[in-house]
Amino acid sequence: MGSTSTKIKLRTSDQKVFEVEEAVAVQSQTIKYFYENGCPGSVIHVHSVSGDILSKILDYCKKHVNSAAGKEDISPEELYEWDANFVKVDQNTLFDLILAANCLKIESLLDLTCQTVANMIKGKRPKEIRTTFNIKNDYTPEAEEAVRRENKWAFDMLGV
Amino acid sequence: MSFTSFVWEIGNISNKSSRKRHRLRRGQAHITPEASFSSSPGSPGSSTVQIEQRQWANLPPELLLDIIQRVELREQCWPGRRDVVACASVCRSWREITKDIVKTPELCGFLTFPISLKQPGPRDTPIQCFIRRERATSTFRLYMGLSPGELSKLLLAAKRVRRTIGTDFVISLVGDDFSRSSNKYVGKLRSNFLGTKFNIFDSQPSRDSTVCSSCESCRKTHPGKVAPRVTTSNYNTAKISYELNILRTRGPRRMQCIMNSIPVSAIEEGGTAPTPTAFTNCLDEYSSPLLDSAGRRPQVGSTSRSMQNVPLVLKNKAPRWHEQLQCWCLNFKGRVTVASVKNFQLVAAVEPSENVTIAEQENVILQFGKIGKDIFTMDYCYPLSAFQAFAICLSSFDTKPVCE
Repeated sequence: MGSTSTKIKLRTSDQKVFEVEEAVAVQSQTIKYFYENGCPGSVIHVHSVSGDILSKILDYCKKHVNSAAGKEDISPEELYEWDANFVKVDQNTLFDLILAANCLKIESLLDLTCQTVANMIKGKRPKEIRTTFNIKNDYTPEAEEAVRRENKWAFDMLGV
Repeated sequence: MSFTSFVWEIGNISNKSSRKRHRLRRGQAHITPEASFSSSPGSPGSSTVQIEQRQWANLPPELLLDIIQRVELREQCWPGRRDVVACASVCRSWREITKDIVKTPELCGFLTFPISLKQPGPRDTPIQCFIRRERATSTFRLYMGLSPGELSKLLLAAKRVRRTIGTDFVISLVGDDFSRSSNKYVGKLRSNFLGTKFNIFDSQPSRDSTVCSSCESCRKTHPGKVAPRVTTSNYNTAKISYELNILRTRGPRRMQCIMNSIPVSAIEEGGTAPTPTAFTNCLDEYSSPLLDSAGRRPQVGSTSRSMQNVPLVLKNKAPRWHEQLQCWCLNFKGRVTVASVKNFQLVAAVEPSENVTIAEQENVILQFGKIGKDIFTMDYCYPLSAFQAFAICLSSFDTKPVCE
């Protein structure tokens, strides 16, 4: 078996098994660690990631590995656009992607997903952020008062 | 190594935010049939909503930190900076993390939360603001920015209130509420009858002990005036005086500011200026103002013992007489364009015994001047705060017939 076609087996939280090319799988530093330090051929159980999410993540890794290796003719701009489309998902999926990228240690994906959330915050009022991410306002009345004062000041823009 | 140990280990690694996440994940398995996927997060309904609601609030702190840091880094000026304030308003965990990330103006060079108006400005590059005077309403608005034009951030607003024995400038966080009992009230500037002496009152004490001595000094100088009026908490943080100019009819003003809340050590090498980190709870203060002021008196004695707490004194830079132009000139580096008796630059006035470098003595801490009809620029830096700088500038607006 040539090193390029070596496959790594991954089992997800919902017991789905993925056979993944080594180069793609080791984009995850976590998988890389277990792959290099474990017995060859054994299944790596990624039990905090579901099959749906892992499948998406593997798409991402494949795209990036192929473009880096020149297997796929894709310009940096096109890859950027592909990334932008990749994170056009609902909030639950985005949340799962962030956690998975964090636990699998895929730096570029974590970067992409966190930046996406940061961009979603842009221009939003606190209430809108809470609605977008389903976060509960858990302030005590006193803290709420301080928060309200800050907001009144921050959003009080008077054109001159 | 056996297969089971792999399973165990990778599970452990992912378990940083352990149980919560598993609970969520299990919950999610129930609620994510493809068809219902498009339901917006805010949609009301079954128990699944509750599970979703917990999700983002439970994002591991290191990831939330990463996200908010990105927002903070991207938005370094207003109005984008609002996003940072918004992050701090979402919920408690977001607030805690955001407050940790945001540095004081002294360290980062810009203003974020209203409390940064009471924190010392940056040490190197001054924060550039402008003041717009509205004669009809006797209000003065302090905006951040180089000059009017773009949508500018209102920092503070003041309203001139004439009293029989002088003038008050009530300073507020907003432009439409100058009530002293409002929580937007941040302090005031009060003048004497002649408009030659002013006191800056802060709605809250600075964290530094020096302010306590100033509390006393305010009582000393106006024992009859201030004490009965302590309906709101006011801490005298500075005194401004304009020198009487009765003999010379034309000539530059001479002013001096004694910053009771800032020790002269603040501008010595390695020195720091008091930096409040939060507004004190107004409600507490208003409900027991007398207790508050009385409670501070014993502290006064104990702190005045430490003589190293000498207040910082500022004076205006003497302008040079320009023979050709036949006027008094100061180099405002292009920030002031219209000649006015109100224009000034403040530098530290230090005793030779004090350990302040020559460069520091030359450093303009506050610069104020006219650029157009009813428009003035105000550039301030460490150790003054925006609030203090604004109050000092307001003193220049008050008419002083005896000084000119």
